[in-house]
Amino acid sequence: MDESTTEKAGGLTRREFLGLTGGLLVSFSLPGAARRAYADEGESEDLNAWLHLGPDNRVTVFTGKVDMGQGTTTAFAQLAAEELTLPLAAVTMVMGEPDRVPYDEGTWGSMSMRDVGVRLRAAAAAAREALAEMAAERWGVAREAVVVKEGRVSLAADPTKSLTLGELTGGKRIERKLEGEPKLLPVEQHRIVGKPTPQLMSRDIVTGKQKFVGDLRPPDMLYGARLYPPCYGARLTSVDSSAAEKAPGTVKVVMDGEFVGVIGASQEAVAEGICQLKATWEEPEHPSMETLWDDFRRNPGNPRTASEEGSVEKALASGAHTFTATYRAPYVAHAPLEPHVALVHVKGKEATVYAAAQTPFPHRDEVAEALGFDPKNVHVFVPRVGGGFGGKAQCDVALVAARLSRAVERPVLVAQTRAEEFTWNYFKPAALIDIRSAVDESGQIIAWDCDIYNCGNRGAVPPYDLPNHRVRCFPCHSPLRQGAWRGLAGLYTTFAIESHMDELARATGQNPIAFRLRHAQGDKRLARTIQAVADAYGWPPKEKRPGLGIGVACAPDAGSYVAEIAEVEVGRETLRVKRVVVAHESGLVINPDGITNQIQGGIIMGLGPTLREEIRYERGRLLTNSFASYRIPTIHDTPEFKTVLVPNPDYPPKGAGEPALFPVAALVANAVFDATGVRVRELPLSGIGV
Amino acid sequence: MASSDTITLRVNGAEHHLTTDGSRTLLSVLRTELGLTGTKYGCGTGHCGACTVLLDNEPVRSCALPVSAVGRSMVTTIEGLARPDGTLHLVQQAFVDEQAFQCGYCTPGAVLEAVALLRRTANPSVSAIKEAMAGHLCRCATYPRIIRAVQAAARKMAG
Repeated sequence: MDESTTEKAGGLTRREFLGLTGGLLVSFSLPGAARRAYADEGESEDLNAWLHLGPDNRVTVFTGKVDMGQGTTTAFAQLAAEELTLPLAAVTMVMGEPDRVPYDEGTWGSMSMRDVGVRLRAAAAAAREALAEMAAERWGVAREAVVVKEGRVSLAADPTKSLTLGELTGGKRIERKLEGEPKLLPVEQHRIVGKPTPQLMSRDIVTGKQKFVGDLRPPDMLYGARLYPPCYGARLTSVDSSAAEKAPGTVKVVMDGEFVGVIGASQEAVAEGICQLKATWEEPEHPSMETLWDDFRRNPGNPRTASEEGSVEKALASGAHTFTATYRAPYVAHAPLEPHVALVHVKGKEATVYAAAQTPFPHRDEVAEALGFDPKNVHVFVPRVGGGFGGKAQCDVALVAARLSRAVERPVLVAQTRAEEFTWNYFKPAALIDIRSAVDESGQIIAWDCDIYNCGNRGAVPPYDLPNHRVRCFPCHSPLRQGAWRGLAGLYTTFAIESHMDELARATGQNPIAFRLRHAQGDKRLARTIQAVADAYGWPPKEKRPGLGIGVACAPDAGSYVAEIAEVEVGRETLRVKRVVVAHESGLVINPDGITNQIQGGIIMGLGPTLREEIRYERGRLLTNSFASYRIPTIHDTPEFKTVLVPNPDYPPKGAGEPALFPVAALVANAVFDATGVRVRELPLSGIGV
Repeated sequence: MASSDTITLRVNGAEHHLTTDGSRTLLSVLRTELGLTGTKYGCGTGHCGACTVLLDNEPVRSCALPVSAVGRSMVTTIEGLARPDGTLHLVQQAFVDEQAFQCGYCTPGAVLEAVALLRRTANPSVSAIKEAMAGHLCRCATYPRIIRAVQAAARKMAG
């Protein structure tokens, strides 16, 4: 570690905000894209989270990540407490608060543990080691002569010589920057990491005390809403606001170009005000969903190669058997139970923003830009988010609230209705995926050529040994607004890959587990995870009865591996996933209960687009704008679970928020084939009429 | 919005006299007039269950109920479920023990639905639990845990 002092040139302006009076502050960096400079604030670009140990032996962790229910607040605290040999209760988490935390681009991609978690663990270990060394120096002994236990450093030979870690800082401000790889506590010594740990805010959640953005009630708060067009791409041609302005609850109608918003005394008043606006629109031609796949093919754009090896064309030509298949999957929504919501208070040249958001820093920057403010004067807070799933990365609603608040200089809460939530946010991209493949006489895959339209490249490259392969992504032009969704393209790319693997296995008379293992020789973690699910299930299946299908699928993602086996029951008009056995390997498991919750929740969420979910639209109008027309999984869809956390504790913690969802669609489609002999290559499967 | 009615609302054991439009939803009145924000808006159409409160012992969707229709019934919201000394209701405790939530937004509604179920049925089967909880959408999909939490609370209640 580098030792430095707070007095160094450039100063540490933002850290002064922390109000830390003394103690040890460790800053640590994140690899790659998460870095960003705040040169004007005297911070080096690679300082992306901070850990502080106070003289009172309390720890505060500062990070820009947010907790939307993934349990990261708890898991971060576990890591810090563990390495500092302190109880969990000694840790306070400060998250997603740009005024007090280092830059973070956003919470997505199952990055929290594998990026921040890994570095935080190292930073806490570094803090412990630094303090142990300080104690050794103070007592004039070697480092080996002191022990760190229960938040204290003691002299091994004379345990009466003992100080708390906090006392060792002597109330001075000491700053260290994490460098290199500090010595981590051996896994066998873990007291907190690896133990099932309830979310820290559990009590507040079950008592209703937990505040979400929509629950905040600052004095003088007003409500706001914007006028949305009748369909995609409509242009406002005129608006008569006189009736809206006269409506009893209206405080102000704000008109600024195409933006029209109403501020009112209550949510009802605002809804009434919006109703009273008499607007005319020019509605453009907009395609209906029937032409989507043709449109993608007609105008694919320039492909980007995600991966290429060997010669696909040659290998395809020399194959004993060749296969061609096309897989399709629709647009789907995030549908968090908490619709998008933001509360903004603009006062002079300053703004305070409370947003249910995965992106506190982009919120700060975009609100600042929209208002022409210095980002330093935009203070963003993210209380708990009521589900994100990739859908709360954009700043739209905060920008609406900011524009409205500026007009009255009072706090304005903008909460989307469910219909607005379903209509005006972005969707998970629809996917059209072509695969051409070839196997040799022995049934080994020798060629894999995959063209992916529109949905992006997450999970696009199969994890298998494929000496000749090419995977290309065509950007296309999406008729609907699209963006991140839990795992990005992963559910759909894995649907294509793992369905196709199943097709090849069946066509060549190989069992789906053996076929995958045969092609997983180059990846031991993958092979081990597939073997783990087979063992947990008791593969091969003993029972074969009509209507029961057994499917297999697996995927790597976020540094983790997941393999799943499902049993489905197919009736004349019913398709039910009865049981899912899942093996999940994600390195060191921090909170086994939390990760199990993520895995099972991810699998059930994945059943939505697999079985029923589909955004339907016609000439720019969305037909799915309520929970009645867009049916997400309910408790009736819950399968029985057997969940195996494949141990790999000496490997760093990897992502777990998304991977388990990847195989779900293929898993069920493969099981449907097993039951019926019908290969369904289009989601959702409810359309199949088996 | 123009009309204003005088309404007496009994909530969590206390009586409130309000002057407001009786056609407003109970959800809106609870959240804005009484500051009881534990009851959530999820859809406004009674499909998701996030706004569930108890009317006497009946679970109702407060987003679809005009406040004037509450009458003399006692409304119980999530804030009124634990004992005054802070002891959690058995269902709340079971939700904590089973970690039957992730983001926690739908939890208050689900807890109250489960309370109503267990008042009706002492030892519900899994299918009865699913039937009762089917109107409670949880996008985090903590359903396996919700089932376990209701079972655990039922066992505790049976003593």
